[in-house]
Amino acid sequence: MSKKSRKLIRATPAVENAAAEVTPEAMQPAPERTFFFLPDVEPVEVDERELHDEMKLWRHGRATRTIGQLLADSYVMLFSVVVIGAMVVSVVLRAQAGMTGCNTEACASGRLLLPSAMVLACYALALGMAALFGPVLASAAEGSWLMDAPISRRRLLRGRLVVPLVGSFGVATVFTALVGALSGLSWLQVVAWSAAAGLGSSALVALAASEQPLERTRILKTLQVIFASAALILLLVVIGVAAGWLPVSVVAVAGGATWLLAGLAVVALVALVVLLRVTLSRLESIRRARLLSGGSLVSGMQGAMFALDFGLIRDILVERRMIAKGHVKPTRGRGLGLMALVWRDVERLRRSPSAFLGLAASLFVPYAADALRMVQLNPVISGLALVAGLVPFLGSLRVLTRTGGLARSFPFKTAQLRTAAMAVPAGLALLWGLAASPAFIGIARSGADRSVLDGLSAALVTAIAGLLGAVRWVTAKKVDFQTPMMATESGAMPPTLLFNLFRGFDMVALITAPLILGFPAYWSLVIATVVFVALRGSFNAEDLRAEQEAAKRELAASKKAATDRQKIPRPTR
Amino acid sequence: MARKTPVLKVTNLTKAFGPVVIVDGFNLEVAAGEAVALTGRNGAGKSTVLRCIVGSERPDDGTIEVNGTTVSETNPQIRRDVATVIDDLDFFPDLSVVEHLDLLARAHGIRDADDAVDEVLHEVQLVPQSGQLPGTLSSGQRRRLALATAFIRPRKLLILDEPEQRLDTEGVEWLADRLVAERQRGLAIVMASHDPTLVDRVATRIVRLGDRAEVLADE
Repeated sequence: MSKKSRKLIRATPAVENAAAEVTPEAMQPAPERTFFFLPDVEPVEVDERELHDEMKLWRHGRATRTIGQLLADSYVMLFSVVVIGAMVVSVVLRAQAGMTGCNTEACASGRLLLPSAMVLACYALALGMAALFGPVLASAAEGSWLMDAPISRRRLLRGRLVVPLVGSFGVATVFTALVGALSGLSWLQVVAWSAAAGLGSSALVALAASEQPLERTRILKTLQVIFASAALILLLVVIGVAAGWLPVSVVAVAGGATWLLAGLAVVALVALVVLLRVTLSRLESIRRARLLSGGSLVSGMQGAMFALDFGLIRDILVERRMIAKGHVKPTRGRGLGLMALVWRDVERLRRSPSAFLGLAASLFVPYAADALRMVQLNPVISGLALVAGLVPFLGSLRVLTRTGGLARSFPFKTAQLRTAAMAVPAGLALLWGLAASPAFIGIARSGADRSVLDGLSAALVTAIAGLLGAVRWVTAKKVDFQTPMMATESGAMPPTLLFNLFRGFDMVALITAPLILGFPAYWSLVIATVVFVALRGSFNAEDLRAEQEAAKRELAASKKAATDRQKIPRPTR
Repeated sequence: MARKTPVLKVTNLTKAFGPVVIVDGFNLEVAAGEAVALTGRNGAGKSTVLRCIVGSERPDDGTIEVNGTTVSETNPQIRRDVATVIDDLDFFPDLSVVEHLDLLARAHGIRDADDAVDEVLHEVQLVPQSGQLPGTLSSGQRRRLALATAFIRPRKLLILDEPEQRLDTEGVEWLADRLVAERQRGLAIVMASHDPTLVDRVATRIVRLGDRAEVLADE
């Protein structure tokens, strides 16, 4: 410390209850140290399998409960899962039996096209997930401790392919089988469609793994776009046939399709084997950074999943995408005050046009729901779809609410900031409502049959519900683990953890409830107004608490002053 | 000579985390043109005091006033007067460095935002990174951006928590010069720092927070 500092410290008057005496420490004798050096011999060759087994052993050593104890602790949950699973299977079997006998045009188109769309969607999802996570990945610890060692990466990492391959196969098979059975396919057809979905997804994951060491993504992205677009087109055809816009003859090829799907499954199996061999030959040259980025993403997501914080998961993904983007062409802002914030959101629309894809996709939902005769539930289903479509547009609101630092930099009230950040998404929701209004008025022969005014009101309520659901989703606070916990069969749990599962959905259900129950739309608008006022932060709990505490302090001070005044000295005689 | 009206007045500030009392009856007054450095060992309560001053932490007892207004994190007047560089500053992941500064300048009503942004950007030496997204900046560059967000806007009180962190030697020198200039222009500054150069050059008063953290006996 310099002379001036010492002088300043000495000259500083002691701050009441804050400064402390600095006591000089006694000189300690230097400790005697010994150093270890490796003996000058060649190290033995490492067996990766043994190394892996040893790591497994260490992990087992750190386990605090056996699997038996875990099952015993969560038996109620397991029992519930088994019961609900049995009920779902029973419902699926009965629905399959019922749907097989359905011969309407909507059934015929749905029977072939919905499972086919599911197969294509599974392919797109498998490619997307594989490209996002790796699919071969390693944890940060493995990257630090193992990747530096002279070991074969191929032998160490080949086991890592099992989880993504089996996972993609399992998920695609189960969901396609479910959709196929519910659409009324025969069991043989269900097997063909599921096998094509499962084996095809695994083959595509193997393709992503084979491209990972070469760090190429173009083929994967192209295939993903093709599969996603094809799935969307098939869904549009289903809606078109159900609404009577397309003739049913366009889908009357179900018999041949079964053999086509079975052939696709065989081709996928062969491709899977070939691509696996290619991947194994390339794994040796995979870069550590490429492995660790997937590992860090998984660990971040695991942490967020434990808190059921899906907003945080999205934050991690957005941050990752932006890091990959790295650089943008800066644009000049416009306006002053709150207008500057709104204008930035307008600029964002131009910068991230991909967000419109989700919003456009959500626009199909009300039409599909109407075509499939789900008139009563259309507002809540479409509202939820709109929540998913609008979340990417609420990026600035998310950042302004997740930590206080940035919001503190702006000279506005919380309510003003939130309202400004909602302005552009609100405009988009309004446009969505207008575009979706034909679906609420009624497009299909068997769908809704509302007057234009009622249809427009329903569309408007749905749009508002979607907007406020999305706002609720992005502004929800993190789970507070310091609050008193709730005792459950699975252990202590903070009460807010469960609410995290329903955030967004709760607002949509609340606002659309009057429509579903057959009440006039203005009830929904009244509820939406209350929700809006609450969500924009008008009733900031912390502010109210601070005001309450200040009032309490003032009251205590005035009481004390009054008591002091009343102390009248005894008159002396 | 009469003492100037304090920009910041902290009275009897007390803050505990569970049974551990971090700050106990802390008092501080800072007038315009004064720079107070809070020093002390790790855990002495420097950051806690600063977080209470900016309103991100609620004190258990005591009052904090900025220009006569009781501090609340959401009070727009406080937000207008107090510029902060503490660890909870977040950035928009999709806005570039220059766009952050432009947005803040415009939000604070600065008409010549372009000139102001240009000047600050040169000063914090982030011109080559002006189009970069915050996620790609190094930790030192992020710190420079955080400091730039405090200097681009009007302010009466500057709160800094270890502003020298992650800055290179040249950066610390620049920061010291900048803070001295700010102080001489009448700004009130409260900063926590472990850097003797910065404390030595900037502070007009040093407050050493002692080992006040004490564990109260359980009932």
